[in-house]
Order: sequence, then structure tokens, then C-alpha cells
Amino acid sequence: MRLTLPLKLVLAAALLVLYAPIAVLIAFSFNSGRRVSVWQGFSFDWYVRAASDARLLEAFGNSLAIAAMATVVATLLGTATAIALWRFAFRGKPLLFGLLGVPVVVPEICLGVALLAVFARTGLMTALPYPASLLPIALAHVAFAFPFVAIVVRARLAGFDPRLIEASRDLGAGEWATLTRVLLPLLRPAMVAGALLAFTLSLDDFVITFFTTGPGTTTFPVLVYSMVRFSVTPEINAASTVLIAVTLALAALAYRFQKPTP
Amino acid sequence: MNESWHRYRAAFLALLGPGLATLGLAIVLPMALMLALSFGEQRGLVQVAITGTLANYARALEPLYLGVVAQSVWISLATTVLTLAIAYPVALAIALAPPPRRDLLLLLVVLPFWTNLLVRTYALIIVLSPTGLLYTPTAVVLSLVYVSLPFAVLPLYAQLERLDRRLLEASRDLGASAWTTFRRVMLPLTAPGLAAAAVLVFVPTLGSFLQSDLLGGAGTQMIGNVIERQFKSANDWPFGSALSFLLVYATAGVVALASLARARRR
Amino acid sequence: MPSFPTRPLGRRAFAGGLAAAISLPALVGCGEKKPQIRVYNWDTYIGPTTLEDFTKSTGTEVRYDLFADNAELFAKLREGNPGYDVIVPSNDTVERMIRSDMLLPIDRARIPNFANLEQAFQDAAFDKGRKFTVPYFWGTVGIGYRKSKVPTPPTSWAAIFDNPSMKGRISVLGEPAQLIGIAAKYLGYSINVRDPEQIKAAEDLLIKAKPTFLTIAGDDGQDRLLRGEVDLCMEHSGDILQVMKEDSDLAFALPKEGGLLWQDCLAIPKGAPNVEGAHAFIDFILRPDVHAAIAATIRYPLPNAAAKKLMQPDYLNDPAIYPPADALARSETETYPGEAVQRLYDETLTRLRAA
Repeated sequence: MRLTLPLKLVLAAALLVLYAPIAVLIAFSFNSGRRVSVWQGFSFDWYVRAASDARLLEAFGNSLAIAAMATVVATLLGTATAIALWRFAFRGKPLLFGLLGVPVVVPEICLGVALLAVFARTGLMTALPYPASLLPIALAHVAFAFPFVAIVVRARLAGFDPRLIEASRDLGAGEWATLTRVLLPLLRPAMVAGALLAFTLSLDDFVITFFTTGPGTTTFPVLVYSMVRFSVTPEINAASTVLIAVTLALAALAYRFQKPTP
Repeated sequence: MNESWHRYRAAFLALLGPGLATLGLAIVLPMALMLALSFGEQRGLVQVAITGTLANYARALEPLYLGVVAQSVWISLATTVLTLAIAYPVALAIALAPPPRRDLLLLLVVLPFWTNLLVRTYALIIVLSPTGLLYTPTAVVLSLVYVSLPFAVLPLYAQLERLDRRLLEASRDLGASAWTTFRRVMLPLTAPGLAAAAVLVFVPTLGSFLQSDLLGGAGTQMIGNVIERQFKSANDWPFGSALSFLLVYATAGVVALASLARARRR
Repeated sequence: MPSFPTRPLGRRAFAGGLAAAISLPALVGCGEKKPQIRVYNWDTYIGPTTLEDFTKSTGTEVRYDLFADNAELFAKLREGNPGYDVIVPSNDTVERMIRSDMLLPIDRARIPNFANLEQAFQDAAFDKGRKFTVPYFWGTVGIGYRKSKVPTPPTSWAAIFDNPSMKGRISVLGEPAQLIGIAAKYLGYSINVRDPEQIKAAEDLLIKAKPTFLTIAGDDGQDRLLRGEVDLCMEHSGDILQVMKEDSDLAFALPKEGGLLWQDCLAIPKGAPNVEGAHAFIDFILRPDVHAAIAATIRYPLPNAAAKKLMQPDYLNDPAIYPPADALARSETETYPGEAVQRLYDETLTRLRAA
């Protein structure tokens, strides 16, 4: 099976649809008016304002820090959990599988309020000084993101040939070597997909984050949402555009310097 | 694969322990609290007495709320079908692309979602406004398809990427048409990924509220809107918890039925 | 007036912002410990230099965070104060918070500027004797409209509730108590409608009017008005004032039946880490020049008599800011209805949206 023209066209069309609102979003970052919906003229003002808005930049920094931590931990946890579920027979496996589904199933606001109740009652929200106070939020993000990773990785493991593990062991590889030399390379695409999912979930989460942030730990989505009353200004579009541009540039660089696969 | 965990105790604990601890601390414990609340009665503004009452569930099963659930299920089903129909060929195309390009394409698919949901939704409103679909259930479905796409593309990609293409070639060589090959060979082989994608789209969509608020107009209401109000303006956490847990029970029920049906077929 | 409402921290040095962005939170770490207060307020609801001036005059730094609506504020503080010193709840939320024992009494001896307030604002029905709060700004909920599409200025709530020719051209607030209360007001009842039959009458009115409603959600009617999606909306006066600055075709009217009066207050939540700093901040806000400078930026009505003396005539005589006295006299302040009625309101809204 090859990447035929119809498939390429579907991919191109899907990307076009995905990026149509993004194009609008970018266009309005150059709006001279203070709305993201009524065009009034071209200007760079919002970029200047975004760059000098300490609160916006801090929220941005908080979001990226939390998302980075949450992605790494959630990817590792999700992969490990999926491997354990696939490899071992143990009592309570269906229960664990059900529990993994809880963060996916429970409406976000219910989980957010639940975490608020626990965090507030244990004093977790006020106990830590600033940079450390991001950790409880990151923990909440890990908790709702890692089951998503586990589900993606498990889907790839399903129907995997277990003899690979036996063969690896027969050839004298220990647990660690089997994991890192056999399993993980095979799981890499699922882990990449899972990590992207986790990062996306964390970076754009508003509901759960809102309930777990205290003074000084505002994230980007929480900040944007709190500005809704007088509608979002193009400053947010400008910040988003910069994020997209930087990500694309980094990805393009990585792509360029990637070693050609044999 | 089903090894006994007793034989590889260290590996088993190392793999499962951290995930279990996180689940216990940040999911099970808080949600147990909410489960208790769903059997409670509001006493005053912030006091809830856990009395074991079923009144919250009884109220949730009133026709008024069942009607809202029905509309939500309808919208979520439409969203899931449409999302999967788009995501499957997209994931396939990415899986068939040359390896170094795959990660880049995946990144391109998720990148729009790194901008802010609210700003993106406003942009979507502008894109949809010339179509005349705004403030209808259709607009809600379209916007939900938009936000759900990565949740379908990523698990499908993880599955399709390891699809043994020789099986498909064999099917074609044996004279099956492209459609038959897809239906009889490819679809069964990718069923786990498809199921994962369906769950990751359908379930969160059911509890969503932002899209129906911003694009749904006066006539669209999802159960997520009702739940959100219970935790905010209505300040009725017991009822909000009961509604949330009904979603959990219903999903668990559907999943259990599906696995039962699968077991029966074997 | 600058064309952009300036965000308080927006004018900070570029270098500071850049440093904050580059240094990952972990690197910022603990700096020197200056006294600090944490203020939780609505967006665009303060003067351009208010916070800096406060720091200059007292040496206390301000950590400034934003919330989007009262329900969120209440939900967030319900399980305990996560560390705020000053919050800005509206009247009905103040009442809820007092009943839930969430606020600290204010020590009047530490607020000498309280005397600057108009007599009428020195007490409040929702906070008898002003034990827990100090008024910040107030306003009304009335009708925002597009003059070219609504040639005769609306004088009655009938423009919203009984206007069949405006199919899908009206938006209303999605907050149950406000929507139902205002519908009841149009029917001649109180905004604080409690009688189930009167609530039912308001529901029937709303269901009949539903085809004319484009949306029943949120608090962003002013955006839809500006975008031209609706021609009439039920909104807060201040929200409409903001968009009137951008589009001269928009206007605000307080109907003759009277509207909903609201008042945002400064309060100190229990568990505030810096109670002394919170008092200092509240007193600072009530200083005539400070309160006046904020009013000049956000253009809401002031409760502060001494500050009003410093204001320009264009502000004092704007009917969209200070509505005509007779309509104002008929307006009512929302009070907390109790859990049972609250539930009735919420169910009514669910039915209305499902209808």
C-alpha cells in the first residue's frame, strides 16, 4: 500500500481545514482594533504589547513549564502502565483498566472541583513557594493526561507478538535491555503520538487548571479565560502566533538536521 | 501476553507502581470525594451532608435531564462518526509517508491546538459565519469535530503505523477489491486503534460545554452545560457530581456490554 | 482617553517581561522578601497606574490575578482561600460569602477614607452596617442596541421580551437569576422573584420570546452587538460602554421598568495571608484621587463622593454611566435567594434552553 494521490489530497484538505481558523487567528493578531473579530486595520502593536506584558509572559512561562513536566512524566507513566497491562496477568486488572478510563470519562469540571477540594483541604495549594507551587498543577495534568498516553500505547501493543520478548530473553537480554532495546523502539510512534497528546492536553487545559491554580500560578489559558468579560484582545493572537512560529521553526530545524534513516 | 507478575515482581512493580500511585492520589481520592457528594444533601451554601440519599440521581433521571442527555448523545455520536471518517485517512496518509516526515506531519496536526481554545473558537466563529450555520447544532458538531481531530488521528496513527502492509497486498493479489480489502482486512486489523479513537472522541465530547455555549445558539444545550452550572452558578455540587457519575456509569456500562458481546462472539 | 484600556502591568519595562519569559519559573526562585498582597479582580477593572502607585506609597507589592465571573470566584474560595488578600465580589456573591463565613470583618479604624463614600453607600442591604465590604463600583443591567437597526431607542424591556419582529437578533444573559429576575421585572414582579408561580410566568414569557434570542449564554452580548450578529442585547452598562467607544452606532438604555442594579465590593477573604496590607490597599483605593483615576479609565459609576468631585462633566453627565434618576429609582439589587429557589432558577434555565 502506498501513499496514493487521493490520500495525499485528503491529508492536504484536512490540514487546510485545520489551519483555516489559525490563519484567521494570525490575521487578527495584526488588527489595529482591540477585537479578534472586527477588522480595523494593520498594525504590529499587539506584538509589542504582548512582549511587554509581564503577566502574559509569566502565564506563558508557567504554561510551558507545566506542560513540559507533565508531558515527560505522563509519557513515561502511560507507557509503563500500558506495558504492565499488556504483559502481566494480575488480579484487579479490569478494575485498573476501568480506573484509567476515569479521567477520560469524568467531565473536566467535576475532576477540577474534586482536585480543588483535595488540594485546598490538604493545604497543597498554599504550602509551596512560587516555582514549587507549579508542581501540584503539573501533578493534576499528569493524572489526567497519562491515561490518554496509556490508551494510545496499549492500542499499539494489542496483538503485538509476545514471542519478541521471549526471543529477547532467550538471547540473554535482561529486563532493562528487553525494555529499552526491544519494546521501546517498537513503541516509539505510539509514544510520540501519546506525548503530543499529553502536551496538547496540558498546554490548552483551562477547566482543571483553573481550579488548581492559586495566586501567582496563573497559566496562559486561565489568563485568557479571565479576560473574556471584555472579550479577548489580539494580544493573545499575537502570543499564539509567536508560539506557532517558534514551534514550526524548531520542527523545521530538527527535520533538517535529522539523520537520514537508512 | 499474560506472564505471572509473581515471577517478575520487580519489573511489575516498577512498571505499574508510579502510575498506580498517581491514579490513587490525583484521581481516585478526589473522585471518591465527589462520589460521596453525589449521595449527599446540600445543607446551606457550602455544607453537604452525606446522607446516602438517592435524590440527586432520581433528579438526574427526570425527563428534563434525559432529554438534554439525548441531545448530547446525538451531537457526540455525529461528532465521533464525522471525526473518525476524517481522521482515518489522515492517519493512514501520515503512516504511509516517508518515516522522517511522519513526526513532522503529526506535529502539524496538533500544532493548531497549542493556540488557545477560546481564541481558536472565536476564529472558528469567523470562519463559520459566512456559511450561515452559526448558532445551530451543526455548528456545535463542526467545532467539536475540529477540537477532537487530534484525539482521533494520534491513536489511529499509532495503530496504522505498524499495520503489516503485506497482508493488504496479499488481499489485493488474491483478487479482493480495494473496498473489500479495507473492510475485511484493514478495518479488523486496526479495530483496537479505532476503538481507542472513538472513546477518546465520544466521551469528552459528551461532557463538553464551551462549544455549545459559544456556537450553539439559544436552542442547543449539552449535559456538560448543565453540569458546569451545578458547579458554578447553581452551586449544587451534589447534583453536579451525580450527573457526572451517571456519565461514568453509562460509559462503563457500554464498555462492559461491548466486551461481553465480543466474548460471546468468540 | 487612550483608545486601549491599559492593562495595569502592561507598562512595565520590556526587560522585566523578557526576563520573566526567558527564565523558567524554576530559575526565578526566591528573591528578596518584600511585603506583598495578592489581589483577585475582574479584568480591565483598575486604573493604568493604580497598583504601581500603591507600591510606591506603601512599599507593598501587588500580585494581581483575574477572575471571569462571580460563580467562579465563589467556587474557587468555597473549599478554602488559596491565598488571596483582596477580592472583588458582586453584591449577591458578597451575601453568599457572608452567609458561608468566608469573609473577614473589615476594621473600619484602618479605613479612614471610608468617610469619602456617599451616605447611601456607607450601608448596604446585603452587608448590614458594612461589616465585611467596601463598595468599589456599581452599575446596571439594561439594554444595549444598534441605533441604525433600532430607530426608536428602547424604553421598555418589551424590546427584549416582546419583540417578535427581531427574530434571532437579540441576545440575553445566561446567568439564571439575572435572566429570570429581569423577565419577572418586566412582568411587574420583583427582580428578586421567589414565588414559584411568578417564576413560571417569567419562564413562559422567556419561552415565548425564545425565537428572537440568538443566544442565551455567557456575558458577551456586547461582542455580538459589535459584530452585528444581534441588534439588541441585555447587558451590563459598563460592557456596552466599552463597545460604544469603538462603534458610535451603539447605545445603552435603562428601561422605564427599571433594571438590575449591581455593586462590586472590596472584601478580605478569611485566611488572607496579609490582612494589614489588604486594609491598606482598600483604604488606598478609596482615596479620592485614586478612585477618580480608576473611574476615568473604566467609566463605571462611583460610590465615592469625594472622588466624584474630581471628575470631568463629560463623565458625570453621561446618561449611559449615570442613568436617569427615575429609571434608577425603579431598579433593584439582586439578593441571594436561598438554595431551593436557586435550584428552581437553574431548572428553569435548563427547561428554557431545552424548549
